[in-house]
Amino acid sequence: MKVEVHIWDWPLRLFHWLLVIAVVGAYATGKLGGNLTDWHARFGSLILGLLVFRLIWGFIGTTHARFTSFFPTFSRLVEYVKGEWQGVGHNPAGAIAIIALLAVLSVLTVTGLFANDDIAFEGPLFHAIDKELSDKLSGWHIFAVNILLGLVAVHVTAVVLYQRLKKTNLVGAMLTGKKQLPRSLAPSPIKPVGPFRFVITLLIAVTVVWGVWSGGFVEYLAPLASFQSASANPKS
Amino acid sequence: MKLKLIIALALGAATTAAMAGEVEDQIRFRQSAYSFLGWNTAKIKAQAADHPETFNKDQVIAAANAVAAVANSGLLSLYGPGTDKGTGWKATRLKPEFFEKQDEVKEIEATFIKEANELQKVAANGDPAEVKAQFGKVGATCKSCHDLIRVRE
Repeated sequence: MKVEVHIWDWPLRLFHWLLVIAVVGAYATGKLGGNLTDWHARFGSLILGLLVFRLIWGFIGTTHARFTSFFPTFSRLVEYVKGEWQGVGHNPAGAIAIIALLAVLSVLTVTGLFANDDIAFEGPLFHAIDKELSDKLSGWHIFAVNILLGLVAVHVTAVVLYQRLKKTNLVGAMLTGKKQLPRSLAPSPIKPVGPFRFVITLLIAVTVVWGVWSGGFVEYLAPLASFQSASANPKS
Repeated sequence: MKLKLIIALALGAATTAAMAGEVEDQIRFRQSAYSFLGWNTAKIKAQAADHPETFNKDQVIAAANAVAAVANSGLLSLYGPGTDKGTGWKATRLKPEFFEKQDEVKEIEATFIKEANELQKVAANGDPAEVKAQFGKVGATCKSCHDLIRVRE
């Protein structure tokens, strides 16, 4: 006996699909280069905003959006491996994938902010650090793309397998927010999204993106750059 | 006998030094070329793309001429055998695979020359939007080479 229960709040779902668009866009424009590099920076900024949003939403969002509700703790993983895990949100294996995806996207975003391509691109925080360090971070940025591709492949494959083998429609759930769950789990639907919480989270995300581009952060980080160049040339 | 040995050793050392110098010269010349290229592309990027209100036709023409000159200067002659290792102005980032990818490299050079020549033509017209569009095409050829034979830091 299954019942349909509202699990994913709408900001979470919007986050997910905007992230899909931004990541595909950033990947394509990053590969193509040329003047599309401007769009790479725009997609990257969108990803930055989305990640900040998700990080905060992971603490103040609705039940299943919270990191504490799905964090793959040791006991949850043991239960999951034994086949005894019962829950309604992300299962522990999915949670590992999600946290890994968010982590590698964070690495990509932060390194991208400081990156340069030795052609015509400098990230908005490029001037806050030495060119040498920027080159290194740019290398990490490119390398991290491979990890991202691997994780995306695992994520998409898992979703397809759930559909084929378990007849669980995860894509549908991420679109409508609703999951078919056994009545035995007796899940209660999530509370409505608090408009105040949503607006605050959105404001912080927008502020961070705006701050990165405004040059304010570069000024804030400037002492770091002068310290580095001073240590690189002790005589000067 | 002893003298002959000393001469042979000295000659040997001189030859090695000359060869090392040649490799190092090639690396330094090409690094300088890209550095000069960077000065000029930065000007075009700033004036045609980032701050079109600062567009200065004469400066952009001068920069585009310099870019075309570098492109047409026969850069590939600075990539002789052994130049995948060397200190140059700073350690070279040429991948050893460069020497096995000659067809692709030559194709990229041809495209680079074609697009840089076009940039020179477009710059003479003095339209920032046109310059920006063509500048993007030149940048894409830079990237294709970086992606192929340049070591990531």
